[in-house]
Amino acid sequence: MGTEETAPMDEKAKRMRDLLSSFYAPDPSISTSGSSINASFDNINSTSFDADQYMDLMIKKSNLEVLLQRHVQMAAEIKNLDTDLQMLVYENYNKFVSATDTIKRMKSNIFGMERNMDQLLHKIMSVQSRSDGVNTSLFEKREHIEKLHRTRNLLRKVQFIYDLPARLQKCIKSEAYGDAVRFYTGAMPILKVYGDTSFQECRRASEEAIEIIIKNLQTKLFSDSESIQARAEAAVLLKQLDVPVDSLKARLLEKLEQSLDGLQIKPEEASKLAEHNDSSKDEESNNQGPVKIHEDAVRGFSEAMRAYRDIFPDSEERLFKLARALTTMHFENMEVYIRKRVSAADFLGIFRIIWEDVVLMDEVLPEAALSDLSAEAAQVTLKQFVAKTFSHLQQDISVYSLGRNQKLNKVSLYVADTLLKFDINQKEVVDGEILNVVLEASRKADFRQLLDEDTGVIVKMKNSLIGWIQKGFQDFFRSLEAHFLVLSGKTISSNETEGLMEGKSSERIHAGLILVLAQLSVFIEQKVIPRITEEIAASFSGGNSQAFENGPAFIPGELCRVFHAASEKLLQHYIDTRTQKISIVLRKRFKTPNWVKHKEPREVHMFVDMFLQQLEEVGKEVKQILPQGTFRKHKRSDSNGSNTTTSSRSNTLHNDKMARSNSQRARSQLFETHLAKLFKQKVEIFTKVEFTQESVVTTIVKLCLKSLQEYVRLETFNRSGFQQIQLDIQFLKAPLKEAVEDEAAIDFLLDEVIVAASERCLDVIPLEPPILDKLIQAKLSKSKEHNNNTVSS
Amino acid sequence: MQGGSSGIGYGLKYQARCISDVKADTDHTSFLTGTLSLKEENEVHLLRLSSGGSELVCEGLFSHPNEIWDLASCPFDQRIFSTVFSTGDSFGAAIWQIPEPYGQSNSSTLECVASLDAHVGKINCVLWCPSGKSDKLISMDEQKLVLWSLDCSKKSAEVLSKESAGMRHSLTGGAWNPHNVNSVAATCESSIQFWDLRTMEKVNSIERVHVRSVDYNTKREHIFVTADDESGIHVWDLRKAKVPVLELPGHTHWTWVVRCNPEYEELILSVGTDSAVNLWFASASSEKKTSESSVEVSRQRVNPLLNSYTDYEDSVYGLAWSSREPWIFASLSYDGRVVIESVKPFLPRRYVLI
Repeated sequence: MGTEETAPMDEKAKRMRDLLSSFYAPDPSISTSGSSINASFDNINSTSFDADQYMDLMIKKSNLEVLLQRHVQMAAEIKNLDTDLQMLVYENYNKFVSATDTIKRMKSNIFGMERNMDQLLHKIMSVQSRSDGVNTSLFEKREHIEKLHRTRNLLRKVQFIYDLPARLQKCIKSEAYGDAVRFYTGAMPILKVYGDTSFQECRRASEEAIEIIIKNLQTKLFSDSESIQARAEAAVLLKQLDVPVDSLKARLLEKLEQSLDGLQIKPEEASKLAEHNDSSKDEESNNQGPVKIHEDAVRGFSEAMRAYRDIFPDSEERLFKLARALTTMHFENMEVYIRKRVSAADFLGIFRIIWEDVVLMDEVLPEAALSDLSAEAAQVTLKQFVAKTFSHLQQDISVYSLGRNQKLNKVSLYVADTLLKFDINQKEVVDGEILNVVLEASRKADFRQLLDEDTGVIVKMKNSLIGWIQKGFQDFFRSLEAHFLVLSGKTISSNETEGLMEGKSSERIHAGLILVLAQLSVFIEQKVIPRITEEIAASFSGGNSQAFENGPAFIPGELCRVFHAASEKLLQHYIDTRTQKISIVLRKRFKTPNWVKHKEPREVHMFVDMFLQQLEEVGKEVKQILPQGTFRKHKRSDSNGSNTTTSSRSNTLHNDKMARSNSQRARSQLFETHLAKLFKQKVEIFTKVEFTQESVVTTIVKLCLKSLQEYVRLETFNRSGFQQIQLDIQFLKAPLKEAVEDEAAIDFLLDEVIVAASERCLDVIPLEPPILDKLIQAKLSKSKEHNNNTVSS
Repeated sequence: MQGGSSGIGYGLKYQARCISDVKADTDHTSFLTGTLSLKEENEVHLLRLSSGGSELVCEGLFSHPNEIWDLASCPFDQRIFSTVFSTGDSFGAAIWQIPEPYGQSNSSTLECVASLDAHVGKINCVLWCPSGKSDKLISMDEQKLVLWSLDCSKKSAEVLSKESAGMRHSLTGGAWNPHNVNSVAATCESSIQFWDLRTMEKVNSIERVHVRSVDYNTKREHIFVTADDESGIHVWDLRKAKVPVLELPGHTHWTWVVRCNPEYEELILSVGTDSAVNLWFASASSEKKTSESSVEVSRQRVNPLLNSYTDYEDSVYGLAWSSREPWIFASLSYDGRVVIESVKPFLPRRYVLI
């Protein structure tokens, strides 16, 4: 039964379902295709539902109970669907009914509208015909009015032209040139067209007036008293009047050029400017200072440039040129200025002024690349300044030392004492000068800071500036060292190529000077260079890489070495010159007499006095200039410790020799000398010289005694000659020991002289000690007397 | 003696000042030296370096009548030499010949070839013509220069010419130019004078005070070396004689003698009264310097002093290079010690390579 029922039921249901789905689902294909796969057989809602298959499946799968349940469920569902269908049909029907009603209502409303429309058309037609009537009736009158109006305008223009001369005159009187020009240019076309006919008079008059105006404007343009704006306006007006402006421009620019002279910072004024720059810091109220004036002038100049630039846009090139000219002029003047001696502060002052000028001008003419130009120029100037500063320093020092040198020569003729004091003074001066170098360095540090603050561009040059300064120091010290050496006559300066000249000048150089230079070198090595190094480290560090690439910058180690070598060289040179002087005395002493035919000694020979006098001089110089040895005592005891035995030995030897000399056993004596030498420690005659008073004096005495010995060895003596030498040496013993720290060495050397003399003597008979004493005493009392005499006189 | 001395020593009995290389002896390295003793009998020693170079042997010992102030060996005959001697109050100069069978025999007497007796004052030195075979020699006293012609076979010497140096110039020594046999340099108190022997005229002079020694560089013409009391050693170029080419510090006290090496042109020896012998390296010309490697140049500039031999007890006055073995020199200190040293360790690299 089920199957029979389901078949028609199925037919109907399927149709219904299709209908419903077409109504409710806009795209039935999706739902059907989707369901066909998912719900194959058991989904009744799918389009591909096969009722037979479903039935078979149900029967196969389910038992009766389930089938019954299914049947009940399905019947309920069918009933529900039927009611739904009925509801839908009913609702649709309702909608049809209301639509029919609406159509009916519309039909009744439209009825009667056409008649109203016809009425409206008719009314609009009548309005249009009336307005046409009014328009034609007024046309003639309007034409007339328009004609009258044109005539009136023409008359006004004619009136204006007739009035133009008077108006222009009025304008001239009131100096309203702008209006005048406007009027004139307005009237111009008419005048041009009708000028030859009825307006001839009028035209001539107005042209005259305009000429006056042009003249006035030109005078205004060139008068300095007028403000720049006024002048600029004048220029604009002139241009409007078709006056040839180019010539005017040329003239104006020439004028501007002339005014540049006024803006120059002349070298003479520069220092004043700099001073005022300093002072104006103190008193701000002092506006009348030349700095202010200068600043105003430059400001005016830049304003003018600005104005001209506005007026004549095509004149930029020329203005650039002018600005550049001013800048270069500034820097040229600066160069002239720094050729003289200028302090860093002054230099800086001027520098700042110039920079301000440049900044002002740069504002006006940014395209002129003024800052670049001036940066370049400033670099050159700075470099020159640094170089100049160093060269000035050097000149100072050379002038000082030359002056001292000359003075020394003069003074040395008169008084040795004052001379030495003078030396000391000079030494302080030079020391001070070198300290100045240090100060200068610190000043330059400020300088750099100022540059940092003020002018940004120069910061760029900081590195190279540091390089220059370092290099400057290096070169300065190098040349200073060379200068010292030249001054001391140790090296031959390039202009003193002639050997003869050199020889003479070296004789002229005072020994004291050499000693001062030596001491100075030590001072520079130990004090100045470290200080400058500190200074450089503090202020000029950084930026080294650049400088090192180009050349040697400041290398303190090298300089120290150079000066150390120089000081030693100079000290040696001093000792050499001193010993040479004494050597001359000795040479004369030994070359002149015939020692083989010498007469019996009567007194101590003169040369001893000269020798001692020279030594005294050395002692004085040394005492004033060199420091005292600090470890003198210690050293002395030390040398005594090792040498007491030897000196006593040589003394005993000496005595022995004296005693036995009568036997004339020179050979055994020589043997003994050798033996003694063999056993005693070799006395160090030639030790290294130190920078102390004692060391220098000792070295000189030692060298002289050695020379004495050598001179003795070259001669042959008779008995009296030997005795003379014996006497002289005996006399020398006491004062020399007093002067010299190394007594043992002196003893040894004096003995050596006696031994040398005895070796070179044909007939060695020494003087008896009493006679020796007597002669020495006589000499002593005589010299004392001499001293007293000189003191009293 | 202190250690480190590589020298070979030989002791004379008395003090001595002069030593000379026997140039004519081509088979051995030998030196002649003479003593300086006022009162004793003086001796001339002929010293020979043994073939191994380790010993200095006395080949001959000859008595000499007076103390010897100068001694020079004849360049062409090893048996002939000249001396300048002093009797105490007068000076003399003579040419001597070593007797034929010289050997170990003690104090064989020297044969006097000729006496150069044209002098009055103090004689300084006798110079042999360096050219070798020439029989010319010059003797020099404080006042004048005498050119002699020696005839060994006749045993006589003739004065060829003589010329006074002038009253103001007191001659002290000299050297014969090895590059020009007509030119002689003489040192005097205030200058170095250059004499032309053909005309016997002074042709040139360099103002220089107290020059003690002069020597020509045998390898390089125009270059010569001087030593003076005041400022050490100078190297000169005759063509540019105003200013010295080079300046060396010299000695702590006087520099007594300076000698150029006969073979290695840059080596200079000097002896001084500070009991030292200094060996210098001095390249004499500037163009030479630039051609050499810069490293070597800078080293030399730092210290031209190659070595200082200080193992002496007294002032050193005698100095002679050996011409046969040019790296050997003999020095003589006042106490009579002859020391032979070799400079081989200090030779510049390029010489060693050769």
